[in-house]
Amino acid sequence: MANVLDLRRRIRSVKNTRQITKAMKMVSAAKLRRAQERALAARPYARMIASVLESLTRRIDLFDDATGNLRHPLFTTRPEKRILLIVISGDKGFAGAFNANILKTAYQFIAGNPDKEIDVEAVGRKGRDQMRRRYPAAVYTEQTDENGHVTRVRNRKAPVEVTGDHPGMLLKLEADRVFEMAQSIIARYMHEEIDAAYIIYNEFKSVIQQRLVVERMLPLIEVGKQQIAGAVEPSKEERERAAEAAVSAGIELEPADTTEADEEARKFGTAQVDYIYEQPSEELFAGLVPQYVSSMLYHAMTESVAAEHAARMTAMDSATNNASDMIDSLTLHMNRVRQAAITKEIIEIVSGAAAL
Amino acid sequence: MAQDTNQLRVRLVTPERTLFEHTAQSVELPSKAGNMEVLYGHAPLLAELGAGDVTLHGTPDGNERYNVNWGFVEVLPDRVTILASDALRPDEIDVPRAQKQLDHGLELWKQAGESEEAYDEALRVISEAEAKIASASHP
Repeated sequence: MANVLDLRRRIRSVKNTRQITKAMKMVSAAKLRRAQERALAARPYARMIASVLESLTRRIDLFDDATGNLRHPLFTTRPEKRILLIVISGDKGFAGAFNANILKTAYQFIAGNPDKEIDVEAVGRKGRDQMRRRYPAAVYTEQTDENGHVTRVRNRKAPVEVTGDHPGMLLKLEADRVFEMAQSIIARYMHEEIDAAYIIYNEFKSVIQQRLVVERMLPLIEVGKQQIAGAVEPSKEERERAAEAAVSAGIELEPADTTEADEEARKFGTAQVDYIYEQPSEELFAGLVPQYVSSMLYHAMTESVAAEHAARMTAMDSATNNASDMIDSLTLHMNRVRQAAITKEIIEIVSGAAAL
Repeated sequence: MAQDTNQLRVRLVTPERTLFEHTAQSVELPSKAGNMEVLYGHAPLLAELGAGDVTLHGTPDGNERYNVNWGFVEVLPDRVTILASDALRPDEIDVPRAQKQLDHGLELWKQAGESEEAYDEALRVISEAEAKIASASHP
């Protein structure tokens, strides 16, 4: 049987661990709060772009007579042969099943499209590491034509290749960089290097309203409508666990009420008047569409960051609770051992006295 | 009508946050087709903005100036809403970086060759950098 001293040491060590997990939980809670604020601050822009686009599609005749689709390259659907998959994971571990779930969904998506060529664009360190280990990186060679122009040619070797990663993008989320990334994806779509683009990320409206989604980014079908290709809802226990952790860290469960701000933003470009178009309306439309797609990507990233912090907060809360349980059981055990030792000593004294 | 009711309500919204929400006497906008100034009572208008300075005259804190790369503006008689992909105050502009961007743009322009798309891209980079430098050097 372990002696009292050993047990006391174990208890002290578990207490130290508990202190660390508790601190990590509080840090994650603070970061979550900030991430939520940022997601909220990014809402008006996305809303406004969507509403002015919607309003423009209603006001001006942009539809193709033959197909009934909008006449814009990003609205043209092609048979999906080459797919770009943007996997938004976390930068760090200690977040429960957060990263594992995202990767699982990504692998399922890839397995579900076996006869297609898939390019993976990994955002977030954890996802990037895993994807790189599993799939080869894309190889390019440079070719010079007779005029001396250098063109990059892609040599595809495997059906699934990693075309890029974006280290540190989530750590310091800046709209600039995300918009640049979106621009390059749009360019790839326009050049028909890819036929569709999907984002896998954690949607996060609030602690109890989150899910893992596969969202289609390109081609666009209708403005202002999310194209969800698949979603994984958290189980009831997971949701309860998350809610419990949030309450103990002082995080609001319900999403902040933004109805008023949303209404305000929705009015953008939709007044019941005849607008003067400074540029031809098609040009205005064409200028707005890429911004709309970019803001979609930025939105996905802000939500994913919030979800990562929430997942870490929940995981650390569980760890803290487990440590407390362990301390309780170890303390009980230690008291028993001590008691047993005392009893044994008394028996020895008593039996010694009786023998006299 | 009293003078102080003839104020435009101006909002400047970027992807990250709403940067500015104030009243102003007038707003100067760098529309793609050239600069324009909007006063109270302007006819409803939608316009795309190019690279340049958005200047607000007669705000409660005096004049304010922001450099934008790309934007979209809605003008209504009593309010102006500007969506900008990026907005910087003149003192926030990183001039050496803008200079580098300008060199990069010129490089792109030289390499563009026949490709119209590459030309447009190069011109966009150049005008962005030039607008930044001009905005920063302005008093």
